[in-house]
Amino acid sequence: MRQFGKALSTASALVLSFAVLAGCGPRKEAEVPTKGELNLYTARHYDADLELYKAFTKATGIKVNRLEMGPDQLIERMKAEGDASPADVILTSDAGALWRAEQAGLFQPIQSAVLNEKIPAGLRDPQNEWFGFSRRARVIAYDKAKVKPEEVATYEALAEPRFKGKVCVRSSDNVYNLSLMSALIERWGQDKALTWAKGVVANMARPPQGGDIEQIKAIGAGVCDVALTNTYYYLRLVRSGDAGDKATAEKVALSFPNLDGHGTHVNISGGGVARYAPHKDAAVKFLEFLATDEAQEIFAGANNEYPAVASVKPPALVAQYSNFTADPMPVTTYGARQAEAQAVFDKAGWR
Amino acid sequence: MADVQPLSPTRLRRLSKPWTGLQWGALVAAVLAITPLVAVIALAVFGGEARASAPELIARYALNSAVLAALVALGAGSAGALAAWLVVMHRFPGRSFFAWALALPLAAPAFLLAYAYADLFDAAGPIRTAFRAAFGTELPLNMRSLPGAAFVLSAAFYPYVYLTARTAFVNQSVAALEAARTLGCSLRQAFFRVALPLARPALAAGMALAVMETLADYGAVNFLSVQTLTTGVVRAWSVFGSTVAAARLSLLLMGAAAVLLMIERANRKGAGHDSGAARWRALPTLELKGASAWGASLFCLTLLTLGLLLPAGWLAWRGLSAVPEAPRLLLAAAHSLSLSLAGAAVTVVLAAVIAFGARGHPLAPRLASLGYATPGAVMAIGLLAPAGWLWRGFEGAVSGFGAGVGLLLYAYAARLMASALEPIDAGLSRITPSMGRAARTLGETETGAVRRVHLPIAKGALLTAALLVFVDVLKELPATLILRPFNFDTLAVLADNYAADERLAQAAWPALLILLVAIGPVIVLTRRVAHSRPGAPS
Repeated sequence: MRQFGKALSTASALVLSFAVLAGCGPRKEAEVPTKGELNLYTARHYDADLELYKAFTKATGIKVNRLEMGPDQLIERMKAEGDASPADVILTSDAGALWRAEQAGLFQPIQSAVLNEKIPAGLRDPQNEWFGFSRRARVIAYDKAKVKPEEVATYEALAEPRFKGKVCVRSSDNVYNLSLMSALIERWGQDKALTWAKGVVANMARPPQGGDIEQIKAIGAGVCDVALTNTYYYLRLVRSGDAGDKATAEKVALSFPNLDGHGTHVNISGGGVARYAPHKDAAVKFLEFLATDEAQEIFAGANNEYPAVASVKPPALVAQYSNFTADPMPVTTYGARQAEAQAVFDKAGWR
Repeated sequence: MADVQPLSPTRLRRLSKPWTGLQWGALVAAVLAITPLVAVIALAVFGGEARASAPELIARYALNSAVLAALVALGAGSAGALAAWLVVMHRFPGRSFFAWALALPLAAPAFLLAYAYADLFDAAGPIRTAFRAAFGTELPLNMRSLPGAAFVLSAAFYPYVYLTARTAFVNQSVAALEAARTLGCSLRQAFFRVALPLARPALAAGMALAVMETLADYGAVNFLSVQTLTTGVVRAWSVFGSTVAAARLSLLLMGAAAVLLMIERANRKGAGHDSGAARWRALPTLELKGASAWGASLFCLTLLTLGLLLPAGWLAWRGLSAVPEAPRLLLAAAHSLSLSLAGAAVTVVLAAVIAFGARGHPLAPRLASLGYATPGAVMAIGLLAPAGWLWRGFEGAVSGFGAGVGLLLYAYAARLMASALEPIDAGLSRITPSMGRAARTLGETETGAVRRVHLPIAKGALLTAALLVFVDVLKELPATLILRPFNFDTLAVLADNYAADERLAQAAWPALLILLVAIGPVIVLTRRVAHSRPGAPS
């Protein structure tokens, strides 16, 4: 009995210690008294985003509660929550995820003159269920010493025999590759897109592996000459304090490929108001706040992306890489064709 | 008395008596533990249309999973068993240090090892760059490959085998070994012909844990660009948007786990040996000399280096280049620590209730263990079913902090029941039925016998279980990610955030903090095993 009592008291001590520790869990920030709350479900998790929420609270007095998880988890959780969901705003960093959340009926349409005016039509949902707040471009990184910029002026170049054994790419189920493939299918149709994917597979310097940064570094290491990447990964290496990263950035340049004369493939970070939002007014306010100059600078600057609002200037470094034409293809395409895109990759043997 | 009755006491009791409170408790606990699994199975069976990759791709994923699991079983199994045998039966420089230090990689999450090795052996990493500079060719060794992943996971999971094997060797019968030596076996022959076969159930238990971890692993294999059934499950969900397909694919993994557990059980049956009657004496150890002594030290050091020192050291080096978000990290560390303590307490209590209450019903604990081999992503989907009932059924539960934490503790119990049940079950197997009967004869009730006889004997096993669950909760990601309340991060969540964003230097900090928090309990755990030999000084 004594032993059992001991075990029991140990167990309850553990639970108690937890309760005490947990008490200091959701720390109440001793700031300005807040007026109301906003519950944010976000698939973005950059440290600078926290600055943004603080700025919003400062501007409006509305406290931001945040819950971060991947877009897939976010969608499933909200489905399970049903109409009890406390979510007011949903943010994700990919158009495909926005599309899928829309398909699951997680958004509600909102009327906001501010957003309609500031966010270009191609970067938002036609039914006003979600809006893009920053853009990222998928481009070709190349070895300056071995490749001329005009040799990588199109996405087709990656599939040309010129680059046999010289191409580095990441896995096909990466959402940036999927969105690019969706755009290619939209422009070219499945057959040509498949031929292209097969060409890229034939040109691979190694099986797909690692993230975008590893592809750029592989060029730096001489493993390959060209690679697909989002712009901000390259800019991160440019900004890095690490000597090796800097040397890689020196050796590598970016080409903004033109897709059939329409421009470079771009994706968005964006969000919308949740269907059962308990604080709908605060939610609309938050989205409108994201379109302000101040927020645009943080939101895009956090990750070296391009602002969605045309009048907002990107930070100096990003501005150097802003001189390109973005393909105006509606970003809604990417989500709708995602499964098709994966099927094409699978057929081409792009793992 | 019992022997003269025509019916065995157990059968008689079952026939005539109503269930005790403990048995009802076991039923409730087991039902709670398998609810998410039932939800997954229901989704797979009744979910309707599913979109996923082509069947031939899935076959390739399954093959990769099988090969990986086999390689890890081999790698972790041989390394763990050999290290345990060296440490228990021999004397060599550093032995008493290695005895507990060799279990330390248990504190390192597999994804930490994957981050470190992938980066270390990256095309632009230090090793390949140096090799290229020296020899003008590519190093033919890539961590981002199936063999690479097998190496990384073996380094991460060998401690499971090491710990179970060591417990078995520490508790083995001196008489059997001496008989073997008397009959002319060398110590090495005694190992292969007596000790190893006798330790088979323990080895199988350790290897089963390692293989189940391998099958369910997503973080490490995905980072190493290896496509397994589990990455296929996640792809079905994230690319094809089909949780139904994800659930169906994970049925394959659950099936594999069920078969594994059955094999392990079958292996255990009849392999048990009654050493309880033998007199306990100190184990005879062999003093290694010269080259073999240094060889033994070198082997242990290599194992420890590959499993912990090299990857953790490299990550720490990388972490230096990033400025940590100290307040956020510390808060997350407090969350991780308190969740792990509470999670361990809750899971072990439930596991003990199942283990004690379901004695004689071996199926119940096996079922409750299946969650361990199910990919975390799918268990998370399964957990959303009971979570949804709670969220929709109770006003305010969905944004409540207490309800959120309660849900997490429940999720850990459901996911990690195996790591508590396995050691408890093994501990209970040391209690013979006659012990309980003696207590009953002396006037104890059924529950009283459990309290005053079984529980004290199984105390060590309970502690081992608690420590294993503690470490597992620290490393747990998918369920925590999807079920946690507002403004609540754990170290594993932060590490994953940064890694997903390709910020390895920042990811290093939370990953190393997990290690730091886990390392204390792991040391306690291994010391406990060392002293588990009856009569050993404790």
